[in-house]
Amino acid sequence: MLGIQHAMLSRSALRPASLPASLCLTATIGVTALGLRHGSRAVVTAKKAEFELHGRHTTKPVDSRKTFLIDYYKHMMESHPVVVFLHYNNLLKTEDHHFRDLIKATNGKLHKIRNNLFQVYLRNSALPDPCAPVDSKDPRLVRNHPLHPLFAGPTAAITYKDMNPADLAKLIKVLAPAKDKLFVIGAKVDADVLDTAKLAEFSRMPPLPAMQAQLVQLLMSASGGGLVQTLEAASQRLYLTLKAHEDARKSGEEK
Amino acid sequence: MITKYFTKVVVKFNPFGKEAKTARLFLAAIPPKQRILGTKIENELLNGTSAKEPIIKVTYKDKKEATVDPRTLSFLEIANKLDGHSRQLRLKETIENQ
Repeated sequence: MLGIQHAMLSRSALRPASLPASLCLTATIGVTALGLRHGSRAVVTAKKAEFELHGRHTTKPVDSRKTFLIDYYKHMMESHPVVVFLHYNNLLKTEDHHFRDLIKATNGKLHKIRNNLFQVYLRNSALPDPCAPVDSKDPRLVRNHPLHPLFAGPTAAITYKDMNPADLAKLIKVLAPAKDKLFVIGAKVDADVLDTAKLAEFSRMPPLPAMQAQLVQLLMSASGGGLVQTLEAASQRLYLTLKAHEDARKSGEEK
Repeated sequence: MITKYFTKVVVKFNPFGKEAKTARLFLAAIPPKQRILGTKIENELLNGTSAKEPIIKVTYKDKKEATVDPRTLSFLEIANKLDGHSRQLRLKETIENQ
């Protein structure tokens, strides 16, 4: 009995602001006075274990779909360099399959998005666990995320594991005939938010490794290796100093 | 929203703008079968630099045109406004069919 009461009291700290405090209080009194009532709502919400599985402390139960989706959106945004957002107009089943196949051919994957949960993720994206209960005055909360306005109306996202502008060029070409059915409204590339015009510009760029090679080539040819030497100099000097120190110590020990 | 009497729909909006919600809900309210039945749907995306104004333009069966501004009205308000003429057309149709 005491254990349940304890769980109730600690749970009441997590209760949403919309629930009146008196409700929790009467529930506690009810449990103590009448004993445990099976199936009563107060007893079900008091299950502390649901909200604290595997050492996590979350607003919704840890194994709930909402927690899963917010975790999934975090994974989607943090482990994929390119995420393209689309307006997903009510498609027929055949159209949906058709577009999914076309998108798969460009190395991407289409996900339909639940706007409210994605907005929760965006707001909590700077926190270590986006599902944890938040303090509304926490300065780390992102109030005006640049992607925020995109989540009004039916939205889908396409994720890419590699940053390859050629894939995006292919995607834009593939989606052009879809017109109002499925169209790109914005994208996240690394940490930047691009609109459609900038995305089209990005898709015309050469792939990242090619650009890196170009940069190295330019540096080598422009400075004749001088710049590379300058960049290397600091670490080389450190190595030489330490080496000299080591040699000096060795010779001191021998004597 | 009664979409049965639309023959052409033009929607222009900036997805990052204030009007995006209204415009996108409007697009989503048109059933997918309507495209097959012959309603032309045109949408154009604007960005911050383009000079064009966001707009929702509907042409009805009797060639009457209605234009609304998605920046100032919500989706429900727009639907109510456009339904006015649709109801007239529906009434006319039921009278003719009798």
